[in-house]
Amino acid sequence: MTSLVHAELIKLRSTRLALWLLLTALALVVLLVLVTVPAGQDTSGGLSLRDTDLLARVVGVATTAGEVVVLALGILSFTQEFRFGTATATFLVAPDRRRVLIAKALALAVAGLLFSAATITLDLVLSVLIINARGGAVVWSGELVAVLAAAVAVMALYGPIGVAIGALVRNQIAAVAGALVWLLAVEGFLVTLLPAIGRWMPGGATAGLLQEGRAATTHGALLPAWAGGLVLLGYATVIGLLASALALRKDLT
Amino acid sequence: MTIELRGLTKRFGSTVAVDDLSASIGPGSVTAFLGPNGAGKTTTLRMLLGLVAPTAGTATIDGKRYCELAEPLREVGALLEASGFHPGRTAIDHLLGLAVAARLPPDAPIRALAEVGLATDAKPKVSAFSLGMRRRLGLAAAILGEPRVLVLDEPANGLDPQGIRWLRGYLRELADNGRTVFVSSHVLAEIEQIADKVLMIASGRLVRSSGLAELRAEAGVLTGMRTPEINRLRALLEAAGYRVRGVAQDELVVDGRPEAIGELAAAHQIVLHRLFETGGLEDVFIRLTRGDGS
Repeated sequence: MTSLVHAELIKLRSTRLALWLLLTALALVVLLVLVTVPAGQDTSGGLSLRDTDLLARVVGVATTAGEVVVLALGILSFTQEFRFGTATATFLVAPDRRRVLIAKALALAVAGLLFSAATITLDLVLSVLIINARGGAVVWSGELVAVLAAAVAVMALYGPIGVAIGALVRNQIAAVAGALVWLLAVEGFLVTLLPAIGRWMPGGATAGLLQEGRAATTHGALLPAWAGGLVLLGYATVIGLLASALALRKDLT
Repeated sequence: MTIELRGLTKRFGSTVAVDDLSASIGPGSVTAFLGPNGAGKTTTLRMLLGLVAPTAGTATIDGKRYCELAEPLREVGALLEASGFHPGRTAIDHLLGLAVAARLPPDAPIRALAEVGLATDAKPKVSAFSLGMRRRLGLAAAILGEPRVLVLDEPANGLDPQGIRWLRGYLRELADNGRTVFVSSHVLAEIEQIADKVLMIASGRLVRSSGLAELRAEAGVLTGMRTPEINRLRALLEAAGYRVRGVAQDELVVDGRPEAIGELAAAHQIVLHRLFETGGLEDVFIRLTRGDGS
């Protein structure tokens, strides 16, 4: 298994895709931090510069950038194998396709951790700078540590979830577009309009884990962090099992 | 190592792609898997390699199904039509990913590239490769683990004439070293010169399995000739009992040996510009695989 994971990491490293996605994630982090830290007395986003948990909130929101990008990387790591026909060679090396699925998931977890290291570092440094510049309070709290830990966990989980989606939906445009529209648009509405349902959805559970809710319009609508984490883990497990049961039995013609 | 196909069958919905195919492909020789496009060659090879699940029957290598092989790349090398490359990846990285996954020695990729004549093309991205170079890279992937069995699906497709000549020599050498070489093709001429045995398939069914030499003997000897007096010679040959097998402009192919025909032409003072022996193998191939000849 170690050698298969190593091989998957070589595949990720040997094309430009991961690099471009990392740059995209970093750019999105910059954007999200700039938008999320309130300017002056504006509290329209539910945040104010005097909040003691402002830093933790901003870090939580900016994690969204990384999670979406890592999800896309996970999806593409599998769909590209079908798109370019490298799946044949991959399955010839490892005829038990479940091992390929697991190896890719582990490789993407590693990639997710590396992405989280880069995005969270930028996120923290930039947030502190901007909050200070706008005259807010930078508070290093236990809550910040909890959000950081949650952010790392989310980044490590979204890649493997993407891998399973990619195995199930082999068409890469459909898979990436579908996942992003669901996560960013559909779930956004659900959490706001039907929180009773939305909080149990993958994106809602993620928001719960990161505790984005307390600050946003969805105040009080989300699951507590531990429950959000468990629900998200549940989704990852279910989709992983689905992928190994359904998708990988198909004939490769 | 012997490839064994037993009652191999694949249905896609109501179409039968491969129909109760049984054959044995042994080591030390090049076995050609011949059939027109759509005859079921690729599906058969994909079943052999565990990529497509058979509807019925088994395909084994040395008694084991592909998915039961402990180290598949060290035992079987495969080149398939649909196998591709990420255009943004270099040749060496493509092979490195496979070699690491298969736990092959670290120098395996560079050795395989050298073997197929791509030693100096390790670094450029595959997007810069010609069709022939991609074919060679696919072959490099097939021989990466120095396997004892090679399964190649239409390996000559996309190769230039030099490439085809090189491929022939290369496959011959592998077979002479005791490996099992199983090569599919829809063009007889491509592998006629190197195949020892032939499996012919048409509409998913095995129509012939024999040595190439037997098939040649059965096909008989044909003689081709070129002459400015084609009509006169043709009439003479037909009167002498030869059967005309092909005519084109100033060329004529009849059954029979060139010596006798040359003498006949000389006796009637007909000038021959060319006189050559040729086999009727292509005829046999077409007759068998059309599905009305077996």
